[in-house]
Order: sequence, then C-alpha cells, then structure tokens
Amino acid sequence: MSTAVRHLIVKDLSLMRWWMVGTIGGGLVAAWLMTLSAQPISAGGVLMLCTLIILNIFMVMGGVVTERKEHVTLFLFTFPVSRRQYVAAKVVANAIAFGLPWLVLSLAVVAAIRLSAIPDGYLPLWTSLLGFVFFYYCVLLAVGLNTEANGWHATTITIGNISVNFFIMLLFGVPSVQRFGSGPTAVWAPDILILTVGEMALGVIVLVVGAVTRARRADFI
Amino acid sequence: MTEPVFSLSGVAKRYRYFQLTDLSLRLDPGQVMGLVGPNGAGKSTTLRILMGMVQQDRGDVRVLGQSMPAAEAAVKRDVGYVSDDMRLYGSQTLAWHMRLVSGVHDTWDAAYAEQLVGRFLLHRDQPIRLMSHGERVKATLLLVLARRPRLLVLDEPTTGLDPVARHEVLTELMAVVRDETRSILFSSHNTQDVERICDRIAFLDRGRVIEDSDTAAYLDRWRRVHLDVPPGATVPRADGLIDTVQDGRLVAVTTSAYAPAFEASCAHAGIAVRDVQRMTLEEIFVATVMHHRQERAA
Repeated sequence: MSTAVRHLIVKDLSLMRWWMVGTIGGGLVAAWLMTLSAQPISAGGVLMLCTLIILNIFMVMGGVVTERKEHVTLFLFTFPVSRRQYVAAKVVANAIAFGLPWLVLSLAVVAAIRLSAIPDGYLPLWTSLLGFVFFYYCVLLAVGLNTEANGWHATTITIGNISVNFFIMLLFGVPSVQRFGSGPTAVWAPDILILTVGEMALGVIVLVVGAVTRARRADFI
Repeated sequence: MTEPVFSLSGVAKRYRYFQLTDLSLRLDPGQVMGLVGPNGAGKSTTLRILMGMVQQDRGDVRVLGQSMPAAEAAVKRDVGYVSDDMRLYGSQTLAWHMRLVSGVHDTWDAAYAEQLVGRFLLHRDQPIRLMSHGERVKATLLLVLARRPRLLVLDEPTTGLDPVARHEVLTELMAVVRDETRSILFSSHNTQDVERICDRIAFLDRGRVIEDSDTAAYLDRWRRVHLDVPPGATVPRADGLIDTVQDGRLVAVTTSAYAPAFEASCAHAGIAVRDVQRMTLEEIFVATVMHHRQERAA
C-alpha cells in the first residue's frame, strides 16, 4: 500500500471517527433497551436498526458524495494515486468506518439476545437482519461512488429504508424462523443460512462492481 | 532537443456539446505557458487531461516523460494542480491540510510552507470555511507550492481575487519560475496576468489551438494601424490582415504580421498613416477569436 493511499484512508477515518463513536454509543444504548423486552423486535431493536441505517447514510453521503459535490475530490485527486488506488482507498476507509461499528453492534445484539428474555432462537433472524443492513450499505456505497445525482441517492435510501420493513416480514415467514424462532437455542437451518450468506455476498458483489465501474470511468472528475 | 515538461499530440476528446480537436501543445522546462480562451474553449478539459482526471479519446499525452493517464500516480508526485473550483475540507484547518499534504509528499518544504503562511497572511488554525475566497485560494496554492513540484498546472487560479491577492499570488508564481527547472501552465481569462508572467501563449477557442507562440514575439507582431484614406484611394493589403474597420476617411487596420513595409505601401497609395499602435494581449485575444470565428462561419 502506498503512502498516499494510507494517508487517504487515515484521513477518512479521522474525519468519520466521531460518527463511528456516536453510532457505537447509540447502538449500545439500543442493545441495552433490547434486553428490557422479550420480543424479538422491540423499541430497542428498532433503535438499533435506525442507528445502523443512519450510520450507513452518513458514511456514504458525508464521506463520498459530499466530498465529490463540493469539489474536494479535485484536491484529493492531486495526490500521487491512480484512479484505482483512489477508489480502493475510499472503499476501504468507508468500509472500516461502517464495518467496525456494524461488527461491534452485531456482537452487542448477540449479547443482548443471549442475556435477555428474547429467545435465542431469534439469533438467526437478527443475524440475517444485520446482514441486510450490510447489503443496504454496499448498495448505497456503490450508488454513491458512481453518481452525484440527488435523485439516485434519495431513491436508493427510500427503497432501502422501506425494504427493511418488508425484509423483517420476510424473515418471520422463513420456515426455520417460524419453527425455531421462539425456541431456547439458535437453529442455523439451510434456509436462513442461504438467505444471510446470499444477501451479504450479493452486497459485496454490488460494491465491487460499483467500485470497478467508478475506477474505470474515463472522466474521473 | 530538451525533453518537454509535457506534450499533447493530436489529442481529441468528445462530449455531447463540445469537443477538443487535434490538440497539440508542448512546454519546455523553465517556461510559463498561458492558456487563454473564452468560456467553453476547452482550457479546463485540457488541463484535466494533463492531470489524468479526464481521459482523452485519442492522441498522445506525456507529462514529465511519462504517458498519461497510465502513469498518473507517478507523475502527480511532481505536478501540482490548482483550479478555481477546487475546494478543501471546510471543517478542517489549514494546519490539518498541511499535515495531510506533508505526509503524502516527501518533497514538502516545511520552512517554505511557513514562509508562505506569513506572506499570504494566513492563519494556520483557521478552519477553511471561515476563510475568504482569496484566503482559500492562497491556502490551496500554499499546499501545492510547498511541495515544490516541477510542473504547476493552474486552472484560473486568480479568478475572483481582489487586486492585492492577485498580486500576491502572481508574485509567488514569478518567484517559482526563477528556478529554471520548474514550469507553469496557467489558464486564465485575465490576459493581464498571462501577459505579466507567461513567456509562451496558447490561444484556445472551441476546442482548437488557434495560436501557440512565444509571448514577446507574438505581441510584437501585432499592430493596429490608423489610416486617413482619401476618396478613391485603396488601402493596400497588409500581411496577416485580421480586421479592417472604416469610419468615413478613417480606417483601422489590425494585423498579426506587422511590417514597416505596409506604411511605405500606404504612402505610395496616397494614404496617410495617423498612428501605429501596439496592442494589448486582451485586444489581440479578442481580435484573434473573432477572426477565427468569422473564418469558420464563412
């Protein structure tokens, strides 16, 4: 990794550090609230999802889109980096800035379920739900990398936010969740595993395609 | 033959409503080239192609001996770029930006950077969003100049600056080119700035280079000759005739290839030469662009 790429990553993380800290703080409060209910999706759970979705939107809009709209990219692209390196630095920094709080809060959700009256059988449901938030982040980042049109961002965010509701309904309809959700142990049946791994893999593919498309564009600025 | 700092050969770039056509330019070490042209002439696109930000459809672009955009990362170590629409992080201070750039560029000259902070009357700890436009431009230039790049590519850097700030910026640029290994490509609407610091001029109009010359020699070729033409006399054709404007007996002839022989021809035709004026770059710029547009329309 070149010095310039490393500095670009550190710079982005430095600019986003308070969002990361705030999200982890807010998410931990949400995890604590989750422990107060025996319901799989309670006020704490909704707050957890909102916290992660807000982080997602701020990371992409603040760290990628605004930078380009305000022509800061012109300044950054004078650094000795190629298009590919610039895009890679942007994706890595953004993925760390989102991924770290997401990972910490995912562990907090697991802990909240294990330590509360929420049946452990809902662990696969929550894992898949957190996987969907990751997928949503990948899609929004891919869109943010490739367009500065407000319409595309607003559309992606609106569809993403609404989809969370439909995805929760879908999860409650998954046979293994229906069968084992309220049980005392987590059952990782093939249906929920395929769904979870599939959504996360699809997210990674969308992000890679988005990053490659951006890096290959003839007119970078 | 010295290797040019940059060369563009047969470069073309097509957009929906605009195209750069067969663009060829070169700059030798130690030279300052002014890229002059009206809005939409293709100046910014040309500079962005040089910086690897925009990829040409065809043609060869070489900067510091390397092909662009293939070698963009290596080339940008020695090239500094500033444009009037470039912005820094508004929430961060100048000192933060200086730390960032000094970490990336090992050529960063901290002592020179401090000198520039003082000379430009900037405050290291002031957030960029609280700076005036002139201060932001000077801060951006500072971040580039303190890297001591071999080539400076400046896209309208003095746009919107008050006369004092413009003077400060131009003085610093003139100091840069006292080092004969460093070169500047400077685009501007402000022909006074170009006339002051550039030793080469390239005129661009509608995506084409319509002139690329040594500044002093170029300015020296142009004249506006005012004649008193009696009835029945015919004005002899001047070499490099650009424009003729008649108002009664008075005729103003603009030429891009003035020779004293023209005055002798006028005298021979019974025409009195009232005066022969040198032209400013701005007058030449307007005359050149209008002449080429008329030629293309014809």
